[in-house]
Amino acid sequence: MVEQGEIRVVRCGGSTINYRKAIFTLDSKYLLCTSGDMVKVYSTATEECVHVLQGHTNLVTGIALNPTNHLQVYSCSIDGTIKLWDFTDNILIKTFTVGYKLLALYTSKAHEGCVFVIIPKENDEALDSFQLVAVKLPKSSDQEVAATELSFVLNDVSQLPKCTSYGREGEFVASVKGLYLTVYFFRNQKTYRLSLNATHKKGANNIFTCVACHPKEDCIATGHEDGKIRLWRNFNRKKEYTHSTHHWHHSAVNDLSFTPEGTNLLSGGIESVLVQWRYGEETKKDFLPRLGAAIAHISTSPEGSLYCTSHSDNKITIIQSNLRVSAVIQGLVKGDTIKTDLMIDPRTKALVLNGKPGHLQFYSLQHDKQLYNLDIVQQEYINQSGLHQFEVVKAAFDAQGSWLATVEERKEKLTDLEIQLKIWVYKDEMQSFVLNTTITSPHEDHITALCFCNTNETTMLVTTGRDGRFKAWVLGDDSDIYRESVCWSCDFVGNYHNLLATNCCFSEDGSLLAVGFEQIVTIWNPNTWDLVCTFCQPPGKIKDLCFGRLSCSKYLLGTTTNSFLCCWNLLTCTLEWSVGLNVILLQVDPLSENVAAFSCAAENSDLFVFRPNEPRPVYLQKGICQGSVQRAVFTPREVPEENSSESSQWLNRSQLYFLTRDMDLMTFSTKTEEDRLTASSKQLLIEENVPVTPFYLLLGKHRQAKLDAENGTLAAQVQLPQGSVAIKELLQTPAHVLPSATFLCTMFVNSLLISKDGKSVVPEEAEEEMESEKEEDETSDQEMDSQHKVKPEYFVEELVPKLSKKEERDLKRVRKTDYSWLCPFYGKLP
Amino acid sequence: MATDGGSSVFVSPCAFSPKSHQYLALSTQDGSLRVWDTQSNTLYQEYVPSAHLSATCTCLAWGPCRTFKDGPQRKKRKSEVAQLGSQLDLLALGTAAGTVLLYSTVKGQLHSKLDGGHDSKVNCVRWHPENNSLYSCSDDSHIVEWDLQTGKVKCKWKADKCAVSCLCLSPDGKMLLSAGQTIKMWDLETKEVYRRFTGHATAVSMLCFATTRPPTRGMEGLYFLSGAAHDRMLSVWQVRSDGKDKNAVLSFTLTDEPIYVDLAMSQSKDEAVKLAVVCKDNQMHLFEHVLNGHCKKPLSPSCSVQVASPGSVGDSVPWPVPIMAAALTIDKQALLLAYGSGLQPVIERTTLNAGETHVCLVRDIQASLTLRTETTVTKVKTPTVKADAKLLVPGLPGHSALNKSTPLETKRKPGSDTKEMSIEERLGVIDLSPAEGHKGVHKGGLPLQTDSFAVLLVQGLESSDSNILNKVFQTKKEVLIKKTVARLPIPAVLPLVQELSKRMQGHPYSGVLMVRWLKAVFTFHASYLSTLPSLVSQLGVLYHMIESRVKMFHKLSRLHGKLYLLITQIAATDKSHSVAALDQTAKLVYEEDSSEEEEEGTGDEMLAEEEDSDHWEEEEEMKEVTERSDKGEEHSDEEMNIENKLNGDSDLEADNESEEE
Repeated sequence: MVEQGEIRVVRCGGSTINYRKAIFTLDSKYLLCTSGDMVKVYSTATEECVHVLQGHTNLVTGIALNPTNHLQVYSCSIDGTIKLWDFTDNILIKTFTVGYKLLALYTSKAHEGCVFVIIPKENDEALDSFQLVAVKLPKSSDQEVAATELSFVLNDVSQLPKCTSYGREGEFVASVKGLYLTVYFFRNQKTYRLSLNATHKKGANNIFTCVACHPKEDCIATGHEDGKIRLWRNFNRKKEYTHSTHHWHHSAVNDLSFTPEGTNLLSGGIESVLVQWRYGEETKKDFLPRLGAAIAHISTSPEGSLYCTSHSDNKITIIQSNLRVSAVIQGLVKGDTIKTDLMIDPRTKALVLNGKPGHLQFYSLQHDKQLYNLDIVQQEYINQSGLHQFEVVKAAFDAQGSWLATVEERKEKLTDLEIQLKIWVYKDEMQSFVLNTTITSPHEDHITALCFCNTNETTMLVTTGRDGRFKAWVLGDDSDIYRESVCWSCDFVGNYHNLLATNCCFSEDGSLLAVGFEQIVTIWNPNTWDLVCTFCQPPGKIKDLCFGRLSCSKYLLGTTTNSFLCCWNLLTCTLEWSVGLNVILLQVDPLSENVAAFSCAAENSDLFVFRPNEPRPVYLQKGICQGSVQRAVFTPREVPEENSSESSQWLNRSQLYFLTRDMDLMTFSTKTEEDRLTASSKQLLIEENVPVTPFYLLLGKHRQAKLDAENGTLAAQVQLPQGSVAIKELLQTPAHVLPSATFLCTMFVNSLLISKDGKSVVPEEAEEEMESEKEEDETSDQEMDSQHKVKPEYFVEELVPKLSKKEERDLKRVRKTDYSWLCPFYGKLP
Repeated sequence: MATDGGSSVFVSPCAFSPKSHQYLALSTQDGSLRVWDTQSNTLYQEYVPSAHLSATCTCLAWGPCRTFKDGPQRKKRKSEVAQLGSQLDLLALGTAAGTVLLYSTVKGQLHSKLDGGHDSKVNCVRWHPENNSLYSCSDDSHIVEWDLQTGKVKCKWKADKCAVSCLCLSPDGKMLLSAGQTIKMWDLETKEVYRRFTGHATAVSMLCFATTRPPTRGMEGLYFLSGAAHDRMLSVWQVRSDGKDKNAVLSFTLTDEPIYVDLAMSQSKDEAVKLAVVCKDNQMHLFEHVLNGHCKKPLSPSCSVQVASPGSVGDSVPWPVPIMAAALTIDKQALLLAYGSGLQPVIERTTLNAGETHVCLVRDIQASLTLRTETTVTKVKTPTVKADAKLLVPGLPGHSALNKSTPLETKRKPGSDTKEMSIEERLGVIDLSPAEGHKGVHKGGLPLQTDSFAVLLVQGLESSDSNILNKVFQTKKEVLIKKTVARLPIPAVLPLVQELSKRMQGHPYSGVLMVRWLKAVFTFHASYLSTLPSLVSQLGVLYHMIESRVKMFHKLSRLHGKLYLLITQIAATDKSHSVAALDQTAKLVYEEDSSEEEEEGTGDEMLAEEEDSDHWEEEEEMKEVTERSDKGEEHSDEEMNIENKLNGDSDLEADNESEEE
């Protein structure tokens, strides 16, 4: 065994972000979503991941903002803990150990100090029975607290978080399962159970799929399998409950959400259309169509300006409340299977694989970010289950990245297979791929493999099909008098005893072509199309075929279904060696002699890295992941590593990425790489001070001045005669005998001008008027300066605390003067 | 790269992000900042500072990378996340009003505003590689060191008599170069001038360190570059302890004033420094030089790059496309170029051939612009599909080659030589042996006809006149076709076959006509055709086409048979019905109606029972409102049923349930 610990298997991005509902923070600046065993914090403005909250040891199943502190978030996980985070600074505040598998998390303002979780009954998921319980979070200063005080709320709930919802002010909780809607009121601890009948007439299917409660009224919205939405009311009185039905979705409603004020109801399903229903007048609807993939979750921001939808293609769309898409957070699109291989685009060094249906996605591995989707099929994808549409099933790049060949297929049950082979050329002038040749039905059956001849001048493409043939396509001249052009055409069709052609592979210099026909490997000369030789030992269908590189280019490697890895010497045309190993995947490093072989034994995958000319493997690691490895690829490094140790030398030039059974993208990282990364990880701490707007600037200055004034004149203010006789008199005097506001105002303003620098007074007006209502009862009233429009009583009241003695005298004098002549003017004041 | 006064053209400040060059930050003339993603070539962010018109951005610099994740790594094996390295975050912008803005690209908002340092235009900002500090210089002849932790001025000193136009920090962060009237090197610990360098006549616009500090001998041997306005030179200076550094060590020749410089430092002493310089005249120059002391002769670029638009489309004159910035990638092999207009730059990664000294890249900016506009939100790129893309369907030549098991001679150019040969031959035949033709005609015992189809056909084939050929091939008379083919001279047979196979590929209708001709050809000239050595290649195309066309024939005929059977059966039953009494049909209609009603009725009852089973008392009130949606609604299939129902009478409710759908 080669010494371990130097190389570790690490997950590298591309994680799922659509597993659970994403939640907005209170200010809508950030979006939190679960991602495997982490919680990611995204900026809604830039789509960038700002923080990653790490600490759980298993899948995170729910997140919810702390209702008492909006800068904190709770997260729960299968590992049985609830963690409290400060997401703005990425700090783990507390860990509550519950001891059950937690499947969903809810918080409610009405229930302080406790959260609600869904746990499997008797902590056994196999029972398929789940209950909603309240967990009392003990108040303790410790980092790790055991929360054992569980109180049962509802029995037999669905494990999905979208099937339970908290109603107005947390007064009740509604949960749906099967054909039942259960409502539990916390106040009188009563449970109501409402049901629908299981009719299947005319496509009706009343099974509940999701539930949402109106935030202000007693109303519950439920979604159903057949696309109906029902609004339930009066459910707290057993006999009088009502419901109204609304139907737009043609298949199941995946999620429902009310906007924070409850004015709109949002719904979405597989149609990938976000429907906004007006609450109260449900005939009026707004639509946001073509969101790309089925909507899985919908959530709204607390102030209602943003919505976000999670989609089945690992994407979160952030939508403004006027139904315009403002941002798309896109993870690595992962279907159930990756039909194309993992490929590396030689030009951009991006990882290329199946993306959205009919697209190829380009994914930047360095930055863990999807670059773009390349639309290959160029047909509108219809989001409907059971519809067969064109899919990209194979793709290949040539060595320079200037040619791309794609195969798209459409297979319906009864009709014939439709295949198209498209060959694209990368045009430097336009910086884009341009379609060069389309070949319809290049083979009469599925295409099993395609590869370009990897010489400097790309002139040949080979496809193998299940019709028992392999075809060689060459680049030829297609010029006519109008234009100069090139196109691909078939040069040669080969077969071998009518066996299915399964693999093809060009040697490094392009002088030999190996084609696997079931059990037999045939070697062809692509210049003359001579069959050079055939290999067939030990019998067993060929799974993978590849030529060695560099100094090992005389070797041909093949794996067979009967668990043999064979190496043939092409110079002597003999079997060099063979090994009994159940290899499921064989991958050649293009930059070195190394070959990686993944084998699967007993639910675990092992990796062997070897050179064809050496009997001892360069590196081997057992148990790299659960299940078998789906795809793998070597990517060249930008800068070669300097690993000296023998076991990690194979990672110097390239990196090995692979996809596991669960569609996780993993890679191998070496110690030096990590050391380098940690060495450079020096946090840059920069104070945030942002004068956002000129208005804010003014306000800030004003506040500053206020602070200074408070500090400076505190003594003077304390001395202020609060219960001064003059003021009392002034207050008790009827309004109509008081002097006019304008008169007092100038004086008052003047008095303020003395105590402050006059600059800030004038521009403050606008804002003061706004704030005046709110701050009526505040005692520090320096802000109340220029109140032209306020009635005298109010004005005087505001005036109280800051009259100096001199001003008091002035006021007294004013009082003594007779201003009755001013009365007529007073009426004209605005 | 702000240039000092005197330059008439506004050079928008732009910078590639350090290390991986993931982003290009570009400030346009109106003061808005745009950040472009270099990999997907899309607009990543746009930010307009609040005072963008009064305080336009004059210079910008990317901050050092922010770490994505901190804290020790956990030692759990499976669920570990690869460290993403570092993420870029802050961008420092110097403004014309003397403030420095820090913009956070992660949050997409202003991070901080540094105020109160300068009275005048900021000319250059530079980040300290390690400390939390930032240096800026201004027209007010001061250099300010900012403490970013507090956002305050840490230190401010007068650096020159006139404006300080440029700054540069040494890679280790201990020395600072400033350029005013002279280039000064400051020791950052003491803030004292360490050395002065004079030589540029005009304002220095650019400063750049070329080597990392040698670890042992102080400042000795440190190289740096400088460029100045209106100067077609980049000077290289060496700091030397012996004071012999009054003059530039060497210089690189340029075609115009430099506006953007990117330098890849050498790792070892023998390795050449690579330098990419973008000049004001839209050219980019690449230099490679091993820095080892004095060199009298100015060095010329190893490669010059220009970008031009294609001249062929519309306006026939190609025009140069301005290059804005260039950067060398980490592996130093490729080059990242940003060109086009400041509003929509195109960022391209190119690899240049080593041998070429002058490269002109032809790029169609307009086409690539239109491609990118939709990409920003949807992230879908649509590759171009032009009408002239070749389409190969089964049956066309090129779709399928010969299915062979014996090796053929190379047939890369099938048929081309034989065709030429045949024309020559035919000419020869026509010129030399008219007698032969006469003989043949006489043998047949038919009089020579000038308007005969055979002659017409030969003429048409020789001149490939489509009019004549159309006229000939239009005929449908079997006898005429047979006679014409029989009279055809042997050399004309092969061209006829080629012409026929070409015409077969067209419309299916023309195929029907051509098949008659082909039949005739094969009946009369099979012996001649079988003597041809290139028979397989000549007829291969035809064979494949016919094969692919008749592939479905078997199934189609089967389908035809079935359909025929069905239709005849229906017709037969119809006939028998029409014989029988007519009144039966009317009864049938009635039955259907009543059965439907019955069905609904039973359904209702069932529902009612089910509703009863809920054990709730039911009231007798119920309402139902059914609204048809407006015709203006965009979804035709959309039908709105609103149904407000109290949990009412069982029978009535059941009715509703059934009517709902």
